This record gives sequence, C-alpha cells and structure tokens, in this order.
Amino acid sequence: MTDARVLDADVGVVGAGPAGMVASARLAAAGLSVVVLDEGQRAGGQIFRQLPGGAPHPARGAEPPSHARGDTLLAAFADRDVTLRRGATVWDARPGRLWFEQDGASWLLRCRRIVLAPGAYDRCVPFPGWTLPGVVTAGALQVMVRGFGVVPGQRALVAGSGPLLLPTVTALTGAGVEVVAALEASSRWRALRALGGVLGNGGRRREAAWYARRLLGAGVRLRWGWTVFACEGDGRVQRAVIGKVDRDGRPRRDTARTIEVDVVGAGFGLVPSIELGLRLGCAARFVAARGGHCLVVDGAQRTSVPEVLAAGEICGVGGAEVAMAEGDVVAGTILHELRGIAPPAAAGRRAAAERRAADRLLAAFAPLPGLHELATPATIVCRCEDVTLQQARDAAALHGTSARAIKLGCRAGMGPCQARICGPSLQALAAGRPDQPMDLPVVQLPVRPVTTATILAAPAG
Amino acid sequence: MVETADLVVVGGGIVGCSVVHQLARLLPNTTRIVLVDRGPIAGATSGSSMGHLMVTPDDAAAYALTIASVRLWRDLQQRRGGFHYQATGALYLADTDADVAMLPVLRDQFVARGDSAELLDARQLRDLEPGLAPDLQAATFYPGDAVVLPMLACGVMLREAQAACPGLVVRPDCAVLGFDRDGDRLAAVRTAQGTIATRTVVNATGVWAPDLAELLGQPRLPIFPRAGNLAITGHHGTPVRTQLLEVSYLRFAHGAAAVDPTRTDDRGGHAVNVQPQSNGSCLIGSTRQFRGMDRTLNRELLHRSLLRAQRYAPGLAAAPIVRTWVGLRPYAIDKQPLIGPWPPVPGLWIAAGHEGLGITLGPITGRLLAQQIAGVPCDVDPTPYLPARFCA
Ligand SMILES: Cc1cc2nc3c(=O)[nH]c(=O)nc-3n(C[C@H](O)[C@H](O)[C@H](O)COP(=O)(O)OP(=O)(O)OC[C@H]3O[C@@H](n4cnc5c(N)ncnc54)[C@H](O)[C@@H]3O)c2cc1C
Ligand SMILES: Cc1cc2nc3c(=O)[nH]c(=O)nc-3n(C[C@H](O)[C@H](O)[C@H](O)COP(=O)(O)OP(=O)(O)OC[C@H]3O[C@@H](n4cnc5c(N)ncnc54)[C@H](O)[C@@H]3O)c2cc1C
Repeated sequence: MTDARVLDADVGVVGAGPAGMVASARLAAAGLSVVVLDEGQRAGGQIFRQLPGGAPHPARGAEPPSHARGDTLLAAFADRDVTLRRGATVWDARPGRLWFEQDGASWLLRCRRIVLAPGAYDRCVPFPGWTLPGVVTAGALQVMVRGFGVVPGQRALVAGSGPLLLPTVTALTGAGVEVVAALEASSRWRALRALGGVLGNGGRRREAAWYARRLLGAGVRLRWGWTVFACEGDGRVQRAVIGKVDRDGRPRRDTARTIEVDVVGAGFGLVPSIELGLRLGCAARFVAARGGHCLVVDGAQRTSVPEVLAAGEICGVGGAEVAMAEGDVVAGTILHELRGIAPPAAAGRRAAAERRAADRLLAAFAPLPGLHELATPATIVCRCEDVTLQQARDAAALHGTSARAIKLGCRAGMGPCQARICGPSLQALAAGRPDQPMDLPVVQLPVRPVTTATILAAPAG
Repeated sequence: MVETADLVVVGGGIVGCSVVHQLARLLPNTTRIVLVDRGPIAGATSGSSMGHLMVTPDDAAAYALTIASVRLWRDLQQRRGGFHYQATGALYLADTDADVAMLPVLRDQFVARGDSAELLDARQLRDLEPGLAPDLQAATFYPGDAVVLPMLACGVMLREAQAACPGLVVRPDCAVLGFDRDGDRLAAVRTAQGTIATRTVVNATGVWAPDLAELLGQPRLPIFPRAGNLAITGHHGTPVRTQLLEVSYLRFAHGAAAVDPTRTDDRGGHAVNVQPQSNGSCLIGSTRQFRGMDRTLNRELLHRSLLRAQRYAPGLAAAPIVRTWVGLRPYAIDKQPLIGPWPPVPGLWIAAGHEGLGITLGPITGRLLAQQIAGVPCDVDPTPYLPARFCA
C-alpha cells in the first residue's frame, strides 16, 4: 500500500553520479541539508558503479586511475551528512518540489534548490539484428558486468563510437570474456583531431594510457573506421557481420565479413537525460557533439528556471571530469545564494576548461550520419512498439517530417521508453535528414513510469 | 506560378482526413484536392483521443448517425485494416443505485432501435471480465462498439484516397494564414507555403474552426474547446479485455453541459472510460472541463479519474502509467456537429464540432459532406447538422 510522505531539505539532488556526489558532499560539508535521489541501488552513477552491497570489484585493478577519485568521493559521500535515497525514481518536478517513488511509496521532497544531475543514456543506432537477445548497448553491458557481476558470454564484439567503448572492452576482458573485435566507427584521422582534448589534460592522458595498456595486455586491437553491419542468430546472437565505413559512417558493403560471437555491445555515444529539466520548463538547445538536446546553463550552472541548477551530462555529454567540476560549481553557486559565501572563481574556470577539453575530444566522435544506412527497411526502429524503418518512412512521407509527426504516423516512441531509445535516431532515419536537429520532445507527467497508486498517493505540493 | 486546386481541405485531423477520403471516392479521379494542416497529420485533437467507436442509442438521430459511421469503419477495416481495429464491444458499469437502475434502460434503448444489448448479472459479469471489482452486481454489454487507433486510421484513409485520386496532395506543416475573395466567392487560400487558387474550401479545423471563420471575415462559429485528460499504462497486459464505461458517461458526455462553455471557472467532471489497447497497454479517461485552450494537465481531475477507474478495475492500481496528456474536444454549443455549406460564403463548407465523438463520426461526416459537395443524395438526413442553423 502506498502512503503519503513529505521530506524537507535545503537542496534536492537528482542523481548520485559524479556531478551529484561532488555537489552534495560540498553542500553538506557546509552545513546545508541535502537529499540525493537516485534510481540505482548504490551511489556512483554510471561510471563509479559499485556492485550490489557495495562490495569491492572482483577484478581489482580492472578499473582505470580515475576511479581512485571515485573511491575517495564515495567514501566522503558516505561520511557526510548527505541523505542518499536509493531506488528512488523521480517522476515529477516543479521548482522547489520533487516527487519520487521509493519501494512502492510515494514521496514529496520540498527543497529550496533543485540540482539536476541525472546523467545520460546510451544512443542506439539500429542495424539488422540489433534487437536479438545477446545484443545490448555498451552501457547495459557495463551495468551487467560492473554493476551486477554478470558474465554475459564468452566471445564478445564491442562496436560503436566514442570513449565509452574502452571501459566496455576492459570490463569484459576483466570478467574473463574474450573480446573478438573492438570497432570504432570514427576514422583514425577524425580521432587525431581529438588528441588536443586528451594531450592537453593530465587526467585524460593518464586514462588513455591506462586503457591502451589494458587493451594491449588483453590482445585487443581497436579498429578505426569499422563497425557492426548486422547481427544474426537463431533465437539469440551467434554471428556478427562487420566491415569498414567511409568518412561519414556509410557502410562499405564490399568489406563485410562474418565473425562468431555470443554477445555484442553496441554503443554509439550517449544522449543527455534532459526529461526532468524539460518538465521543469528549463531551456534546452541542440548540440550534436554533446549528444543532442542539452539543458542551457550559465557560468554558475543555473538553468533558465530560477532555483533549478544542473551539472554533468544533462548539460551535454562530457564525461566524469566535467561532471565533477560542474558539480563543484553548483555547490559554490548554492552556497553563495543561500549562505552568502562568495564562490571560488577557480571552480568556474576549471569547469569551463574541462568542458572545452571534453568538447574537443567528443567532436571526433559526434554521431556519423552515414551510420543510419546500416538499417534496412525491415529493421525495427522502435522496439517498444515493433515499428520497422519502412513504417517510419511511410509515416514521415505522409504525416510530416518532425519527430512528433513520425511518432503519430507509426507509433514509434509511444511505448514505455517514451522515445528514449529510438528518439535520437528516428527522425534522421525516417525523414532522411541526418543533419537536422530533432525537435525537442514534449515531456509529460510522469517523467518515469510509476504506478497509478503512486500518482494517487502523491502528496500535494 | 500559382498552384490551383478544385478543393482545399483545411485540417488533417480525423474529420479532414475522412472528408478527403470520401471526396476522393466520390468525385472524378482527376479532381485536384489539397489537404493542408499547420502541423502533422493527426497532430491535434485526433492524435490525443481515445479511439472508441461508440454507438449512442439515447436519441434516434444520434443512433442513425453513429451506427452508419461505425459501419463505414467496419468496411474500412475489412478493405484495408492497419489501424488496430478491435471489436471489443462496450461494457457499461454502475455503482450507485440510480446508475444501476439505468443499466436496463440502456439495454432497452438499444433494443428499441432494433439493435441488441445484454444485461449481465454478477456471475455473467465475472465470467466476461474476471478483473472487475467483485462487488459489481450488474452491467450492460453492447457488442457493436469497437476501438481504433485514430492516428493510424488517418494515414490509412489518406493512402486509400491517394490510390483513388492520384492528384491528391497532402501537405503537413502548412498553416492557412488567410483567404482571397472574388466578390462573394472564394478565390484563393493563402498558406505558409504559398497561395492556392481554389473556389472550394472545407473548414475541418476542429477547435480552431472559429478562428478560420474569422480569417474569412465571418462571425466566430460557436465551437468551444472542452479539455480531457488521459493516462496510458505500459505494455504489461490489461486487467480487462472489454472497453469499460460508466453508464453515467452518456449523460455526462452528451447530455446538456452543466456549465456555460465560455465561463472560466468550470471545475470539470469525469466519467470512467477504460480502454484496453491491442499492444497490452490501457488508456484511462475521461475528464471534461471548459478552460479555453489551456492544455496543462489538471492533476486533481486526473486523480479523480484514476481513482474511479481503479474502483472498477482494481488491477489498474499496480499498472505503471507511462504518460498523461490533454486533448481539446471541439464542443458545439448545441451539441450537434456542423456538417454542410456556409451559405454566406459560396464555396465554403464546414465539418467541425464533434466534441467527444469525432473519431466515431469521422467517416459519416466525410460522407455527408462529400455527398453534399458532389450533389448526390445523403446516406443520412443532414438537416440537423447544417451549419446554416448558426447564420444570423
Ligand atoms: C551506461 C553508462 C556507462 C558509462 N560508463 C563509463 C565509464 O566506464 N567510464 C567513463 O569515463 N564514463 C562512463 N560513462 C559516462 C558517465 O556517465 C559520465 O561520464 C559521468 O558518469 C556523468 O556523471 P553524471 O553525474 O552527469 O551522471 P551519471 O553518472 O549518469 O549519474 C546520474 C545518476 O542519476 C540517476 N537518475 C537519472 N534520472 C533519475 C531520475 N529520474 N530519478 C532518480 N535518479 C535518476 C541515475 O540512476 C544515475 O545514477 C557511462 C555512461 C553510461 C550511460
Ligand atoms: C481525451 C479525448 C478523448 C476522446 N475520445 C474519443 C473517443 O473515444 N471516440 C470518439 O469518437 N471521439 C473521441 N474524442 C473526440 C475526438 O478526438 C474529436 O472529436 C476529433 O478528434 C475531432 O477531430 P477534428 O478533425 O475535428 O479535429 P483535429 O483533430 O483537432 O483536427 C483539426 C486540424 O486542423 C488543423 N488546423 C487548425 N487551424 C489550422 C490552420 N489555420 N491552418 C491549417 N491547419 C489548421 C490542426 O492543426 C488540426 O490538425 C476524444 C477527444 C479527447 C480530447
């Protein structure tokens, strides 16, 4: 049975990833009451993911140097007077109010400031066979291995684009899985441009070197300008067709070859999780290299809505260093606003520098339009509603070429994921306008699925 | 070069699509029809509605109109399909003594129209729908109703129309901004994508029909937005297979509105309408409130409608809600749709004002209007629906 509960705090933080942890630890240290809400069962977010029960990772040393930072952060987080609510799903918000469901109960958090640090989710690029069991996103594969200690198969293919392929590979090799191929769709030349973002930044340099050693040690060679064309198998994935792509990501079919695998991690970058921001009325803009629509923030990490701040991937995909630096700025801004403590200028400068470095790095991995040619007319584009590319194209041809029109014309994006999975690719695929920014999704209550009982028991705010 | 058309239909909702669909089948296949909508096809009210094809027995004329339209829907399903048609029937429920007393009355109304409906006792009800609240003692089951997915139906109609009439042009994202006149008559439609010379225009813009009338220099039509909240559950299987309605729905939705639609302090009301979808999700409605064009969710009304829905189908309490939204029903002041010519402007036709029955009535509306435009006899007497009743 659900019953109404109300909490009060100075600050309500959504997301216990690097951004949310840094912000809340500092705020709590300064004596503010902070409540952190996270859907997951542990703090750490996507990167400093802990096993259930907070047990140390089985393969010690299987984590890159940046994770030492994560351990310190987690320890500090545990000491502070921060209330972390695990398994808490935020499903509605307005300035000063966060509604969430936890263990089947319906809660309201009333707070003077809201900090949005909900991270990002995987970008899917549909290709034939991407819905076969055994084919998962690179992120989900990491969650399985690093979050649940599950060993998903024996022979893996990792394909996609962007820095996250590396932790996916090392997570698998660390768990004893053979990585048969690791394919980066971007060309080596395009990646060279990113070197500026890596070499100029000590942390990233060490991180890159660590990954290079791990891959070498495991005998995995990263192939640039390659990707997965298709996955095949009887009831689950048994084979993958891989091949080269041209500069724009278009498959070069003449290079196709088949390899035997039993698990595939496909990760084509991340998409900022902005739904809560949109629900709150925060302004957003489209930045392709940062993953799509991002919340607009000023130098103090304030959104366009008073008393709502944001940090980390929600402001554009940038990685954990950016997230932590921005979390620090958020804390400074709130301490200034609520306690009159002048914010350290260095924090803002550091966040801006991290952002610039990340932008340079990620520019090399901005979504390649040609990858949309991987899908055939029969390929499913919306897995919630089983919509094929052909159906989506027919919808675009008749109903209109906006994401909303396509959705109306074929139901794509109307299922439980509310277009989180198919949305980022749908418009480019169906309307054939790969460079067109997608229209901003309309977010309605609830931001995440919750039961009727939770909605009914929600305390009035 | 100015584009020319024999006919321009403004509004790509269910009504505009049905009008085009029927025109394409009735007029010569060389006719040049242009359908314009300022947004996507089915992007306004028709894309935010439940697709209940509802036969209403309480009044002879309404019965004739709804049954004729539901038959056209069935024909379309047999010919084409592709819009998630489900012949679920409708189960009318009640939980107050007064409403329980209405159940046999409703059955008798269907029977009096030569149709059939069944009064179910507690045991029959349980056999039909084991997921209903165990204390319910009776219900009326009408087998003739069905459910469709309106957005997909719009697409199916337009594709069939294109096949019948190759000159048909469907133009989304193309707002009508004004009109040119040639004396009394219409001369052209000015749109966001250029001018279309035409002598015949159909106003099928739902709640915006008064605005379009104004663009033509005509008085605003007495059509008012009546907001409705809906919620949809995930694909987790529905607690019921039949579409559920409170018997009070008919009175609530189609009876005299208790409030003046121009008032701004309407607190609104609701009657349960639970609609299982073919993909295992469930739509939960339905509320009604006059508050202008405001499409923000009324949380209090949503709560009331969820509570009531749960009272009949307790399994809904545990169902995850994935989305809620608000649609605006085009409510005509005398509760009858406007279908026919607008005499003060020769060449101007209207098809609008269907409130909560526009999906049901789309096909017959298209047909009556197309028959009037083509000058052939109408399937159903169009007199009660002629817009001329609102000419000063
Ligand atoms: C699956 C995945 C794996 C990744 N792996 C790596 C990696 O190995 N190495 C690397 O450098 N980077 C990795 N990243 C990138 C990484 O997410 C970022 O660099 C960094 O973690 C961003 O920090 P953040 O604080 O913005 O968000 P996150 O770390 O993503 O934290 C956000 C938190 O908010 C919670 N949340 C979101 N929405 C809600 C809601 N509505 N209600 C309640 N809680 C909510 C989430 O559960 C999550 O714990 C990964 C990203 C993803 C998506
Ligand atoms: C919550 C809810 C539930 C409902 N459930 C049912 C049900 O179960 N069964 C049923 O039969 N009915 C139901 N209805 C009613 C039904 O949805 C409506 O009666 C019907 O959709 C009206 O269709 P329409 O084509 O007139 O309007 P719309 O679908 O609104 O179409 C009008 C179109 O005109 C366009 N337009 C407006 N102005 C311009 C302009 N200047 N230039 C170009 N284009 C313009 C708009 O963009 C719009 O697409 C429901 C309605 C709601 C809100």
